[in-house]
Amino acid sequence: MSDTTAGLRHVEHVMGSVFSFDIRDEPTPAVRRALDEAVHHLHRIDEVFSTYRPDSCISRLGRGEIRREDCPSEVLEVLFLCAHAARVSDGWFSIVPEGTLDPSGLVKGWAVEAASRILHEAGAHDTCVNGGGDIQIRGRAAPATPWRIGVAHPLRPGELVTVVTAHDDLAVATSGTAERGAHIVDPFTGRPATALASLTLVGPRLTLTDTYATAAFARGDGARDWLEGLHGYEALAVTPDGGEWRTTGFHRYGS
Amino acid sequence: MRRAVLVGTGSSALVVALLALKPHQIPGPDTSAARSPVPSHTSTGASTGTSAGTGTYTGDPVDTRYGTVQVAVTVTDGRITAVKVIQAPDQNGRDQQISSQALPQLTQEAIKAQSAHIDAVSGASYTSQGYAQSLQSALDQAHV
Amino acid sequence: MTSTFTTTDASRGIRHRRPRRSVAPVLVPAVIWAGVAGVLALWWSDTSSVVGPAGWITGAGRITGLLAGYGCAILLLLMARLPLLDHTVGTDRLARWHAWGGRCTISLVLAHTLLIIWGYSLTSHTNVVGQTSTLVLHYPDMLKGTIGFLLFLATGVLSARAARRRMSYETWHYLHFATYLAVFLAFGHQLSDGADFVGNRPARIAWYTLYVGVAALVAWYRFVLPVRRGMRHRLRVAAVHPEAPGVVSVHLTGEHLDELGGVPGQFLRWRFLTRELWWTANPYSLSAPAHPRHLRITVKSAGGHSSALARLRPGTRVWAEGPYGGFTARRRTVPKVLLLAGGVGITPLRTLFETLPGQVTLVYRARHAEDLALRGELDAIAARRQATVHYVTGGTAGYSSSLTARGLSDMVPDLAAHDVYLCGPPGMARTATEALRRAGVPARRIHHESFEF
Repeated sequence: MSDTTAGLRHVEHVMGSVFSFDIRDEPTPAVRRALDEAVHHLHRIDEVFSTYRPDSCISRLGRGEIRREDCPSEVLEVLFLCAHAARVSDGWFSIVPEGTLDPSGLVKGWAVEAASRILHEAGAHDTCVNGGGDIQIRGRAAPATPWRIGVAHPLRPGELVTVVTAHDDLAVATSGTAERGAHIVDPFTGRPATALASLTLVGPRLTLTDTYATAAFARGDGARDWLEGLHGYEALAVTPDGGEWRTTGFHRYGS
Repeated sequence: MRRAVLVGTGSSALVVALLALKPHQIPGPDTSAARSPVPSHTSTGASTGTSAGTGTYTGDPVDTRYGTVQVAVTVTDGRITAVKVIQAPDQNGRDQQISSQALPQLTQEAIKAQSAHIDAVSGASYTSQGYAQSLQSALDQAHV
Repeated sequence: MTSTFTTTDASRGIRHRRPRRSVAPVLVPAVIWAGVAGVLALWWSDTSSVVGPAGWITGAGRITGLLAGYGCAILLLLMARLPLLDHTVGTDRLARWHAWGGRCTISLVLAHTLLIIWGYSLTSHTNVVGQTSTLVLHYPDMLKGTIGFLLFLATGVLSARAARRRMSYETWHYLHFATYLAVFLAFGHQLSDGADFVGNRPARIAWYTLYVGVAALVAWYRFVLPVRRGMRHRLRVAAVHPEAPGVVSVHLTGEHLDELGGVPGQFLRWRFLTRELWWTANPYSLSAPAHPRHLRITVKSAGGHSSALARLRPGTRVWAEGPYGGFTARRRTVPKVLLLAGGVGITPLRTLFETLPGQVTLVYRARHAEDLALRGELDAIAARRQATVHYVTGGTAGYSSSLTARGLSDMVPDLAAHDVYLCGPPGMARTATEALRRAGVPARRIHHESFEF
C-alpha cells in the first residue's frame, strides 16, 4: 500500500491539545482554504467554550454573569446536545460533572466533527481528523483501502489494543486515564472513575460518540450492558488489570 | 534421616536435570502438529471491498491434542485486519483458563505484526506535551 | 550324624538339592526401576520445551505427579500378597520396600501438589489461593483428587514413628486402609488433568493397564482367594492349649489343608471370625508341620490381637491366607544348620527342626526356663533325629551372657560353616547377628525373618 504523497496534513495546537488533519483528496485551493477555515473554527470554539479561560462565554455563563440568550448560537446547540446525551446516558454524561458548568466532554468531539464537515463541504471526501485521540473519519485512506485506526493500549505505552477498520464514515473515541490521569469523574459521586483503564467507542458521528464514550467510562461496570443496548455503537474496553471486553458487534470493526 | 536427605537431593537433581535438558524456547511451527488451516472464502456482510484479497476467510476446524481450534481472519487489501476465534478448547477449567489468556494475546500478535500500516491512533485525551510522545505524533511527522 | 528325612518331606518329594541364590530380590527392583524410567520417558517424549519459570515449575510438578502415580500402583502391587513375589522376595522385605516406597511416594505427592499450584498461578497471573480454589473446584476430578491428597497426607503423618508409638498396631493398620480409597480417588485426575496423557492414547492405555492390572491382582489375592480358601478349607478352632506363661497353641482343623501348601518355616495370615478379630488377618507361623486335616500355631500374647486368641472358643471359624514367607529350607546352602530361636521365635524353627534334613542344632533362648515353650516336643525331636538342643536362659540386660561369638562357638562347633536360621525379637536378633558375624558366619548364610512389619 503506498502512503499517498499527494494530500494534505496539518497539525494544530489548540484547546490545550493537538489536532491532526489527514486529507487524502487532491489538495485543491478550495480544500486548502477549507483547512484554514477549519483551523480558525477550532480556535473560535476554544474562545467560547474553554473552561480554563475565565472570560470565555461558558465560564461567564457558569458564573451566572450572562444568560443563555446572550451567548452565541453554538452554545445553545451544545447545551441542547448535552441535554440529549445526559438523557440517553441515564445521567452518566453530565454538563455539570463537578458541580460547575463544563460541557468539555462533548465540545471536543463536536469541534472535530465540525472541522471534518467544513472540509467535506469544500470537496475533501477522504479525511481523518484526530482531536486529541478522538477521530472522525470520512471516505477512504486510498482507493479501495479503508482507514485503519490503531487503539492505544492504556497500560502498555507504545502498544495497540486493536486496529479498527473504517468501511464507511466512522467516529472513534477513546476515554481513559492514560495521560491526564483520572480526570473523568463520576457525576453522581464527584469522584474519579476508576473501574476501567480505557473505553473505545465506535459510532457514526464523533460528537455523540465522544460523549457516550465519556459517559460509559464514568459509568464503569454498568457500561457494558448500556452499550450493548445502544444501537449503532460498538465498544472495546480495557480494565485496569489488563483484561478486555467488547460489545458483541465490535468484531465488525476490529478484533 | 541422612538417607532421606540424600534420596531427596538426588531426586531433585534428577528432575532439574531433566528440565534443563529440554529447549527453553517455544519451537517454531511444528509440521507434525496440526496442519495450517486451508482458507475457504466466505463473504461476510461487513466486507464491502471487491478487490481480491478482501473478505473474511474461515479456516477449517483443526483437531489439536487439546481440542478443536477454528479461526476466521478478515483480510482487507491483502492485510489481516481482524482475527476471530470461532472454536477453541473449552472443555474444562484448564482449557478455559488458558484460552482466556492466550487467545487475546495471539490476536494481539497477529494484529500488531501489521500495525506499521495504521493511519491514525485513538487514545485517551492527550495534552500538547503528551502528544509529543504519542504514536499519533510519529505518524504525523512521517507525513508532514 | 546321619541325615534323616521325615515323612512329611518324603511325601512332598522335596529333594535336597543345592539351592541357587534367589535372583528375585534383584530382579524385582530392577523391573520397578525400569518402570520409573519408562514414566520419565513418557514425560520426555511429551514435552517439547520448558519455557520460563512457570514452565520449569509446572514441568517439575508434572514429573513428580507421574512418578507419584506410578508409585501408588507399585505400592499396592507390593502388598497384593502375590505368592510369586512373597515366596521369592520374602514378606518382610516386601513390607520394608513398601514402607520406603510409601515415604517416597507421599513426598512426591506433596511436591507435585505444591509445584502444580505454584506453576499454574504463575502462568495465569493469579495468586496461589485463587489458583488453588480454581483447581479444586473447576478442574475435572479434582475434588476427588483433593480428598485423596488429604488422605495421603494423613496416612503419611500417622505412619511417622512418633504417631505409631501412640497407637496400637491394629488401629494403625485399620487406618492405613484409607490408602486404598486415596489411590482410587486420585486416579481419575491423573488421566483427565495430566498433560502427558491428553491426546496420547498409548500412554492412557498403558496407565489403565497398570492400574487395572494391579487392582485385579489386589482383588484376587487379598479378597477373592481368601474367601474361596475359607469356604474350601472350613478351618475351625479345635482347641487352645497353654504352652508357657502368656503363650498358647491354637489347634485348627479343616479340610484339604495340604493344599494351603504351608512348607515348614512359612506363616499364614489368620482371620478369626469373631466380633473383635474379624477385621484383620494377622500373621503367625505354623508351629508344627502342616497336616491335611490339622494345623497348629503358637502365639505369645503381645498385643490386643494375640491376647484375644487365648480366649478363642472351639468351633470358631477361621480364614487362612497364604502361605507366605521365604524362611524355608530353600534358603539353605550348606549341610550344617543352626536354628537360633528367641522367645516365641521358636515357632517356625520348631517346624524346621522337625523337617530340615542334614545336621541341625537348635539353640533356644528365653528369659526364664518356664518361657521355653514346646520344650517337650523339642526334646522328642532332638532324640529322634539325634540332634542337639541348647536351652539358654537367664540374663536381663540384653542377651549378652550367652549370645556372644564365644558363647555360640562353644555351643556349636564349627559355627562358621553353618547356615543359621534366626528368629526372635528385634533386640535379640540384632545381638545374635552381630555375634554370629564376629564368630565368622558370613552374612549371606544368616537367614532372618522379621515380624516387624
